[in-house]
Amino acid sequence: MLDDLLQRLRSKDRLALARVLTLISRDEQLAEIRKAVGPKPDATPVIALTGNAGVGKSTLVGKLAEHLRAQHKTVAVLACDPESPLTGGALLGDRVRMPSRPDDDGLYIRSLAAASGHQAVAEHVDLMIRVLSAFGFDVILLETVGAGQGDTAVRSLADVVVVLLQPESGDELQWEKAGLLEIADVVVIHKSDLPGAERLQSQVRELLSLPGCRQIAVLPVSSKKNEGFVELWQAIVAAPRRDGPLEPAAQFLLRRAQQVLADRLLDRAGNVGPVVDRWKRHELDEEQAADELLHRLIE
Amino acid sequence: MATAMDRKLWEQWRAEIEKAPPPVQPATTVSSVPIEPLYTPDDLQDVDYDSELSYPGQYPYTRGIHATMHRGRLWTMRQFAGFGTARQTNERFHFLVQRGQTGLSTAFDLPTLMGIDSDDPRSIGEVGRLGVAMDTIDDMRQLFDKIDIEKLSVSMTINAPAMIVMAFYLANAADRGFDWKKLRGTIQNDTLKEFHAQNEIYFPPEPSVRMAIDVIEFCTHHVPQWNPVSISGYHIREAGSTAVQELAFTLADGFHYIDECLARGLAVDQFAGRLSFFFNAHNDLFEEVAKYRAARLLWADRLRNHYGAKQESSWKLRFHAQTAGCSLQDKQPEVNLIRVAYQALAAVLGGCQSLHTNSMDEVLALPSEHAVTLALRTQQVLAHETGVTNTADPLGGSYFVETLTRQMEAEARKYFDRIDELGGMLPAIDRGFFRREIAEAAFVYQREVDAKRKLIVGVNAYQEAEEKPLEILSIDHAVESEQIATLRKRNGERSQDDVARTLDAVRRTAEAGQNVMPSLIDAARARVTVGETMGALADVLGRCDTAVV
Amino acid sequence: MNQNPQLRIVLAKVGLDGHDRGVKIITRGLRDAGFHVIYPGLWQSPEAVVRTVADEDADWLGISLLSGTHLTLVPRIMELLKQAGLAHVGVLVGGIIPEADIPKLAALGVARVFGPGTPLPDIVDFLRSQGSRTHA
Repeated sequence: MLDDLLQRLRSKDRLALARVLTLISRDEQLAEIRKAVGPKPDATPVIALTGNAGVGKSTLVGKLAEHLRAQHKTVAVLACDPESPLTGGALLGDRVRMPSRPDDDGLYIRSLAAASGHQAVAEHVDLMIRVLSAFGFDVILLETVGAGQGDTAVRSLADVVVVLLQPESGDELQWEKAGLLEIADVVVIHKSDLPGAERLQSQVRELLSLPGCRQIAVLPVSSKKNEGFVELWQAIVAAPRRDGPLEPAAQFLLRRAQQVLADRLLDRAGNVGPVVDRWKRHELDEEQAADELLHRLIE
Repeated sequence: MATAMDRKLWEQWRAEIEKAPPPVQPATTVSSVPIEPLYTPDDLQDVDYDSELSYPGQYPYTRGIHATMHRGRLWTMRQFAGFGTARQTNERFHFLVQRGQTGLSTAFDLPTLMGIDSDDPRSIGEVGRLGVAMDTIDDMRQLFDKIDIEKLSVSMTINAPAMIVMAFYLANAADRGFDWKKLRGTIQNDTLKEFHAQNEIYFPPEPSVRMAIDVIEFCTHHVPQWNPVSISGYHIREAGSTAVQELAFTLADGFHYIDECLARGLAVDQFAGRLSFFFNAHNDLFEEVAKYRAARLLWADRLRNHYGAKQESSWKLRFHAQTAGCSLQDKQPEVNLIRVAYQALAAVLGGCQSLHTNSMDEVLALPSEHAVTLALRTQQVLAHETGVTNTADPLGGSYFVETLTRQMEAEARKYFDRIDELGGMLPAIDRGFFRREIAEAAFVYQREVDAKRKLIVGVNAYQEAEEKPLEILSIDHAVESEQIATLRKRNGERSQDDVARTLDAVRRTAEAGQNVMPSLIDAARARVTVGETMGALADVLGRCDTAVV
Repeated sequence: MNQNPQLRIVLAKVGLDGHDRGVKIITRGLRDAGFHVIYPGLWQSPEAVVRTVADEDADWLGISLLSGTHLTLVPRIMELLKQAGLAHVGVLVGGIIPEADIPKLAALGVARVFGPGTPLPDIVDFLRSQGSRTHA
């Protein structure tokens, strides 16, 4: 069943692609899929777009995708929306603002639900990216939920992180926005047609020109007027790879290891149950419980 | 309005209420506003009659905009009509006039409403179905054939391509020898509510407003008796809003149009008197009456005290009402007759200037002649058999209605402030403010109905096992082929040079930021189609491909 | 392992009709009931709807039609779904559909027709009872 699906995936069957992404989103047959697709080639850029709700991420992603299609680049979009912590339901409405091009096979848009918590993207997006890349898309655009500030997953998933800001009515650049700027490779002043855009742009530039800061492009973009996209793509292409305290590759491996560990522990339910009970009864604190689990795994 | 109240008696009554069982169903309005078991003079302690209520025909017009109201002149009984080809609608017009209708109201088909032609691939299955198909000026000529448009008032319900349809109307009127200065009527032309609710959208918000103002500006100068906009709450309510939202968003739209006209250099008294309104008449009678009264007083206040208008005609809010389409049910549709009667009563008690009563089968299809006649008779019984016209503002002074009026006024003002905080009308639209408010209200209402906290007869209460099928009007599909054939023939017969030249002039006028009406009137005579003209304008103004959700 | 995978449903407004009160209520209601709802907005062409269903690997498609074009648009969509290899996707139709036409839609493969004013819980219950059409 899966073999057949993977075979079809290799033959560039679009329905198979969609189905494989569903399997991944449901945590099904990840190891097999991982084996079947290779690692993501560096040549397929993954661009994450993040920013507060209402800043226009979807609209910009849509316009950027059109821009890229005009350059004959094939584009896959993963658009994330939050999942309700209570019901598990989600309203996946990002594609409303994206172009509807049913005849264009060079554009693929997929909506994903990101589990509640401080998740900016859905689970296993890394594997989805590998699948999309293996399928042959030239560029992958990843739209996060709300603001992805502080979510290191986005940084390790994407080659370039684009942070969107918009002019607010009369406010100074708020300090919490500065947190967003830590993960940015490119900053977009979106809705640049609105008053206050230029002021915001200079504020951001000032903030980023502090000594020791990396070079970060700050660009005005207006989706309404379709302006700024040429410069945006150029800036994305030119953005230097970020060097954090840990190389992205190492960070990525660490997260994978964490995931593998958690999966293995859960597979041995007998191991986990008693420890959880003792933790619930306050006989162990979290650190001690984690140690317990680790020991049981090693045994 | 102080009256001496014996507190002991009131307390006795209050004690009874405390002991009584809870209400048999939630005591809230249709909009879920909680209502007290009783209202008394106490509730009106600080209401000043002269300044807040005054007299009908006197500022702030809470009690009505004319001294005698319906006693002196009945509201206009204006039933929507339009389907199929212009010729068929013309026949329906003649039929209605003979039956006693005093004004004509035109419905257009969906392709026309959306600004595309009958032969557009997206129009398949839609041509002439929900209204008359209008492609060129020839359809306009046919539509009003043998009708003296100087003697009747004509209303056209159209928004996105309103400026083009208006151009067709004016060009045709002139060609037939009618004097623009004598034309009376209304064109809906209210693009803002499309962005809030109805979604008849072609260009983005800002240029859409610009087109609407072009119509208002042109008519202010050249068609002085025409109402160039019908600022509508009806559709906002149909989309699921509360009564207060309907009230506040509609008036806010009106304020925005005023601001735009002023920005063009018009003086407020030049045009404000011709701004007309269109409200919904929903089920909750008292809530609706309070809404209309609050609308009048809010408008008068704003026009006189904020905009500094000097003429009374600028202060008076005139409105057309239509009974709530969204309240009509497909189960036991004859019950709709009863709903419409109560809703019509609300509109009349609320002081409407004209009224459309829905037909009982309107949920299922366009109304049959029988149903249309009954709808008209509903108004006639109301006017002549119930006595509601004998006095102005019959519910004025009711402790309940006056309290509700003031509550609505206060809540509407909160919305005005909120819109200002968001930066004004267009920024608020951009941020999805109106749509979110409306969607939330719609969801709450549905939840109430699903939970049976709000009962709807025939739907979640008093259902019938067997439903009697109702006679519904079926549209002849030949209409579509006939219209398309006629269109293609006419397109073939006209001068392509004239078409290209005039459409080019339209583009250039739009680019130059000038009023497009004169160029549209020229183009009308060259037999351009609605779709071609919208396309030409969109080349300059842009397109709105996705309705912002 | 995800024990209860959420059903993915695309809700589409097809054609020129702009009445979205009903579809927006259902969007929200289904989300509250735990579904993953994809709503691509107004004025969807049949081709765009089918492309969305394909790319989103949807279990269900809900077509919202208020204006009565069901006998032109629904057959077109059903045909396109079949051509695209999506015949397994469950299709619902919501809107003002005359009684007499419901059997015709059923014959085309439509699983259920929901009239205006159908209580949300009825729709939720129906979908839950049907489960995923694409996964065992």
